Amino acid sequence: MINLQPYENPMYFIYLFVALLPIIIAMLYGKKLHWYQTIISFVFLVLAFGGVKWHEGIALIAYIIFEMVLIGAYFYYRQKVNQTWVFCSAVVLAIIPLIIVKVTPAVYGHPSLIGFLGISYLTFKAVQMIMEIRDGAIKEFDPWLTLQFLLFFPTISSGPIDRYRRFKGDYERKPDPQKYLQLLDKGVWYIFLGFLYKFVLAYIFGTLLLPNVGKMALTYGGISWWLVAYMYVYSMDLFFDFAGYSLFAVGISYLMGIETPMNFNRPFCAWNIKEFWNRWHMTLSFWFRDYIYMRLVFFIMKKKLIKNRITIANVGYLTLFLIMGFWHGLTWYYIVYGLYHAVAIILCDVWLRYKKKHRSKIPSNRFTKLLAIFITFNVVCFSFLIFSGFLDTLFFHNIATLK
Amino acid sequence: MKMSKKLFLIFGPIIAAVILLLTLFFIPVSIQNISEGTIQRAALSQSPKVFRGMAVKKAAFSKNYVPFFGSSELSRMDSLHPAVLAQKYHRNYRPFLLGAPGTQSLVHYWGMKGIDDKLEGKKAVFIVSPQWFVKGGIAPVVFNYYYPKPEIVKWLLHAKNNRMNRYAAQRLLELSADHSSVESKGIARIAAGHPLSSFERTYLTLKSNALDREDQLFSTVSLNNRVQTISRNERFLPKAYNLKQLDKVAYTLGKEHTTNNQFKVDNRFWDKRLKHNYKKLAGKQKNYNYTDSVEFSDFQLVLNQFADKNMNALFIIPPVNERWSEYTGLSMPMLRNFVKKIKYQLNSQGFNNVVDLTDDGNKAYFMQDTIHLGWRGWLAADKYINPFLTKKQPKVSYKINNYFYSKKWQQSQSFTN
Amino acid sequence: MKEKVIGILEDLTGSQEIADNLDINLYDEGLLDSMATVQLLLELQSQCGVDVPVSEFERSEWDTPNKIIAKVESM
Repeated sequence: MINLQPYENPMYFIYLFVALLPIIIAMLYGKKLHWYQTIISFVFLVLAFGGVKWHEGIALIAYIIFEMVLIGAYFYYRQKVNQTWVFCSAVVLAIIPLIIVKVTPAVYGHPSLIGFLGISYLTFKAVQMIMEIRDGAIKEFDPWLTLQFLLFFPTISSGPIDRYRRFKGDYERKPDPQKYLQLLDKGVWYIFLGFLYKFVLAYIFGTLLLPNVGKMALTYGGISWWLVAYMYVYSMDLFFDFAGYSLFAVGISYLMGIETPMNFNRPFCAWNIKEFWNRWHMTLSFWFRDYIYMRLVFFIMKKKLIKNRITIANVGYLTLFLIMGFWHGLTWYYIVYGLYHAVAIILCDVWLRYKKKHRSKIPSNRFTKLLAIFITFNVVCFSFLIFSGFLDTLFFHNIATLK
Repeated sequence: MKMSKKLFLIFGPIIAAVILLLTLFFIPVSIQNISEGTIQRAALSQSPKVFRGMAVKKAAFSKNYVPFFGSSELSRMDSLHPAVLAQKYHRNYRPFLLGAPGTQSLVHYWGMKGIDDKLEGKKAVFIVSPQWFVKGGIAPVVFNYYYPKPEIVKWLLHAKNNRMNRYAAQRLLELSADHSSVESKGIARIAAGHPLSSFERTYLTLKSNALDREDQLFSTVSLNNRVQTISRNERFLPKAYNLKQLDKVAYTLGKEHTTNNQFKVDNRFWDKRLKHNYKKLAGKQKNYNYTDSVEFSDFQLVLNQFADKNMNALFIIPPVNERWSEYTGLSMPMLRNFVKKIKYQLNSQGFNNVVDLTDDGNKAYFMQDTIHLGWRGWLAADKYINPFLTKKQPKVSYKINNYFYSKKWQQSQSFTN
Repeated sequence: MKEKVIGILEDLTGSQEIADNLDINLYDEGLLDSMATVQLLLELQSQCGVDVPVSEFERSEWDTPNKIIAKVESM
């Protein structure tokens, strides 16, 4: 059987477009083909998780059954009682499969059997639902819609991470042809911008430049100008690859009438690190902000565990970014990457407070703004160098000098 | 705005782009004329795009370019490099360099498949590196890096059911990373001795057209420019071709460039490739064996192709730097055995232009580094290349023997004439 | 109620200009961040008696003083 990975090659887009054509035409007539959309989703899921990846397909099915039962059970429980320990257990249960998948390679050196492409993103969605059920924001449990939300195929492998209530609104709304035309316009534009990002720019940076620059950096060993070049080339590749992929996911969602949120908003134009996280992998950082940082801060303040506002904020940042680091994987460089960003944000806050106090003495003009963007850009690129794991190869496993 | 107009604004540009692209890729007429300058650059570029492309090679071999098959030694472009000598002394031929690190018999075989008609009766120079003949032959990653798709598709469309094609298809299946495409299905049929299905034939014909177009449009874009390197190296050479003077030049250049190490290898090669790790390599090659390898049958493909096209080839077997082989423990008797075996394969089938330089590994400045010809080595090779290419050669007659495709031959240790 | 909310916002942002411009975007201007948002929710709970869970807090619906006042009054 054939296996077709999402957005892998131009053929995928041709198949996808043909499959989506009936949906597009129906929407232009103000109708929604929910049943047809379900069949298409099923077919593309089978293509992505079938064939040589059938074991991932089995893992996905088992995972979905588990999370659905958990969400449903918690919902019915929550309608009657609201105890904190039950809520905490539900969250822990929801993330246990992800934890197993992340820990297995670090401990046993091989990928976990229950892993599949996109497990992280499904977990984010499931945890989000449990938290909103607890808050009473999700007022009814609709298994069919929950399934559609979790398994929405354009975003299944790597996001963007949508929100249940937002998705529900888009899914159920009767389409307005004029508004849909605008969506279609934007969707097509995003997909083609994605082609430029992923198949041209990411190809240039990632396939043509990166291996050569990497080889040179390894040959010279240690700190060299080639390492600096590697840092920038890798950062560009990371951005264009991921942003390109996200544009595809958003564009395809738009064609289906679902306004999946954007993931990137010119991140390298950010003027400080806080602003950067409002522009880089936005759906992930907003998820962490809303479901970890704000809740933790809320809890600490309400229980008055810590008095000092600044300390609370810093504890929040450290927790958030450490969790993000661990989520990327259990290696020293992902965790250092998390810590690095936590420290950068804490220092950024120190600077912002200082600036607020001495507003009159600190110049603010076009030059200082450009300088801020330049500094932020370099701080970020350095963090990506850590993230890339290249330093690990360079310092500890460099065959060119160790052999 | 009316809906149809808006839709046209959204999809119009895409439809226009698709139509343009399809026309560009599928019109069966050639669009490009390849200039002399482009050929010259391509001949020296050693670029995988050129190896797997066909347009430039066809243009070059209709002129006075001669294929020089080899591997990494071809990039040792000092003043005595065949390309420099041919240009400096205005010879009637120019080398077209077909070789780069890792290109072995299979890459060369496929490199010839798409340009069959331009090779009929041509001369060629073929540098056979003993280092190719390790047990498994070419590494799959390397082969896939050079994967000559346009040639393979073209070959599929014309492949008759014979031993050569079945063996070639079998090797492709073993090495290729791709198992689901129409091409690989076709390859599997050829390997099993069956003809292509009519769907495969139609699909591959269209594909071949698209690949041709891609090749014509892109294979000569952004090539390494070595033309300057060649001209720069010319200035060290005497005005007239004089072996004695040239040897002096080669000696001097060699001496100048090998001052920082005990193996007499090029200074830059030493700094970049050996200085850090040579200590770990002492005695490491004691058990190397070049006499038991699938490469012998891959090499047979090349010979078969030469014979089919009545080509006349000069085979050169380069030596190993003796200081280096003594240090790494590479066995000289084993190397001599290899030469015996390869010579048997060549001579018994009628390939008689074989130059064996294996015993010259101890001559000063013969090698540019550990296993690659340089200064005086290139000059020694030129003593054979020059007359072979500039003088008329007797007509060739070959007797191809399919035994050389067998496992038995690959492993055989008895080969006497 | 309006005065109370403005009072809370002025405390949190340390800016006396809130009352002058009730349509100022608190996030874009850097007056509020996630931390201050949580404080805002807690203050609304203790001073105004409105209970807003974090889930109900959607940034785009709470980004100006006027929007916040309207939200609080509707609860």
